[in-house]
Amino acid sequence: MGKQAATKVQAGAEGTGATGKVYPSPPAVRLVGSAKRQRILDGVLEAVGSVGYDATSVRTVLDRTGLYRQAFYDNFADKDSCYLEALSAGVAQLEAAAVSAAASAETWQGKLRAGLGAVLGTLDASPDVGRALVVEVHAAGAEALEKRAEAMKRATDFIDSAREAAGEAESPPPIAAEGIVAGIHAIVHARLAAGENDGFRELLPEFMYFAVLPYFGAEMADAEMRAARV
Amino acid sequence: MGVDSSSTSNPEHAGGPGSLPRPYFVRSPRERLLEAMVRVAAAKGYEATTVDDVVEVAGVSHDDFDGMFASKEECFLEAYDAVIDVLVAHVTSAFESAAGEPWPERIAAGLGALVELLAAEADIARMAMVEVTAAGDDARARYRAALARFTPFLEEGRDYSRQSDELPPDTARFAIGGATSMIFDEIRAGRGPELQRILPDLVFAVLMPYLGPEEAEDEMRRVTHQG
Repeated sequence: MGKQAATKVQAGAEGTGATGKVYPSPPAVRLVGSAKRQRILDGVLEAVGSVGYDATSVRTVLDRTGLYRQAFYDNFADKDSCYLEALSAGVAQLEAAAVSAAASAETWQGKLRAGLGAVLGTLDASPDVGRALVVEVHAAGAEALEKRAEAMKRATDFIDSAREAAGEAESPPPIAAEGIVAGIHAIVHARLAAGENDGFRELLPEFMYFAVLPYFGAEMADAEMRAARV
Repeated sequence: MGVDSSSTSNPEHAGGPGSLPRPYFVRSPRERLLEAMVRVAAAKGYEATTVDDVVEVAGVSHDDFDGMFASKEECFLEAYDAVIDVLVAHVTSAFESAAGEPWPERIAAGLGALVELLAAEADIARMAMVEVTAAGDDARARYRAALARFTPFLEEGRDYSRQSDELPPDTARFAIGGATSMIFDEIRAGRGPELQRILPDLVFAVLMPYLGPEEAEDEMRRVTHQG
C-alpha cells in the first residue's frame, strides 16, 4: 500500500496526476499524485518526526527530499499547510491499513486485533512518521488538533460498535469507548515521545485486554490478551 | 476555612485566604516571572508567548529575566514544575485523607481534588494540560514525569483488583492516559471551568481497567449522586 493509498485519498484525483495537468481550480487537485508532491508529503512527516515540528523548515524538507525550493512552493504555500495535508494523508494511510487488515475478520474482536495490529506494525516500520502524526501534531496548531480529534472520534465509533456484538454481555457507560481510545493513544504517544522506535506490536495483547474488558468482561479480555500474544 | 467544594467552586473565593493553595503569591521577581509565564502561556499559547510579554506582565526588567533564565523555555519549565508540585500535593492530600476508605473511593477523592483545582484555576489547567504538549521535548518529558507521579496511587489497585491474575503492565498508564485526554479535550473546548461535570466519567475511565466495567460503574454512580 503506502504511496498508492495516500494518492487515492485525494478525492477526484483520477486521471489528473499522471499527466501533471494543471487545473485552474480547485487548487487541491492540482498536481495531485505527482511524484514530487508525494515526496514532499513523505519528507515533511519524516522531518517533523525526527527533528520536531518547530525545528522543521521548508529547507529541512528540501534537504531530505533533494528537491528545489520551486518544487515545494509549486505545491504548498508553506510548512504549515504542507504538514496539514501530510497529516491527513498519513492518518488516512494508517486507517486504510487497519481497515484492509480487518477486512477478512468476522468478529469485532478479530477486526480489532487485525486492525490495531496493522497500525502498531506500521509504527514499528516507520516510527518517525508515527511521531509526526501522534506527537508533533500538538505543536502544529488548532487545525491539526482538529484533525487529531476527528481521527480519535472515528476510532471511538469503531470501538463502540462492540455494543452490537456484545449484546447482553456488558453495557458500559457511553464514556467507555472514549476512555479506551484515549488510554491506548496515551501509551503509544508516551513511547513515541520518549524516542522509542520499536516494540509497538508487542503492545497489542494489553490493548486487546483494555478494549475488550468493558464490553465483554474479564474472562474474554484475558482470552483475547492471550490470543494476541501469538 | 477548609477546602470544600462550596467554597472553591465559587470563583470569588478562588485564591482568597484559606482557599486553594496558590503557588505564586507574588513576591520575588522570580516568582512574579513564573506566575506571569503561567498567565501569558495560558492566554496566548506557548508558541506565541514572548519574553517581552512575560517581563511586562511580571513588571520586572529584561535584565532581571536574563539574570535568572537562559530562555523562554527555561522559564516555562520552571513554572511548569511549580504548577505540577501544587497539583500533585493537592491530589495526594485528598487521596491520603481518604486513607480508611476502599481504594476506589480514594481514587475518586483524588480525581475530585484534581478537577476541583483545575476548574478553579483556568490558567494552571491550560498550562499544565495543554500548552505543555506544545512546548518542546523537554516540556513533554516533564509532562510524562508529572503524570507518572500519580502512578503509585493507581498501582494500589493491583492488590484491590479481583479482575485478573496479571493485569497488563501499562494499566496505570492506560488509566491516566484516558483521564488526561478527557481533561485535555474539555480544557481545549473551553469547558475547563465546568470540569467537575466529567468527574464521573473520569472515575469510570480510571477504575475500569482495574475493576472491570461493573464495579467501575458502581463507583461512577456513587460519585454522580454525591456531586
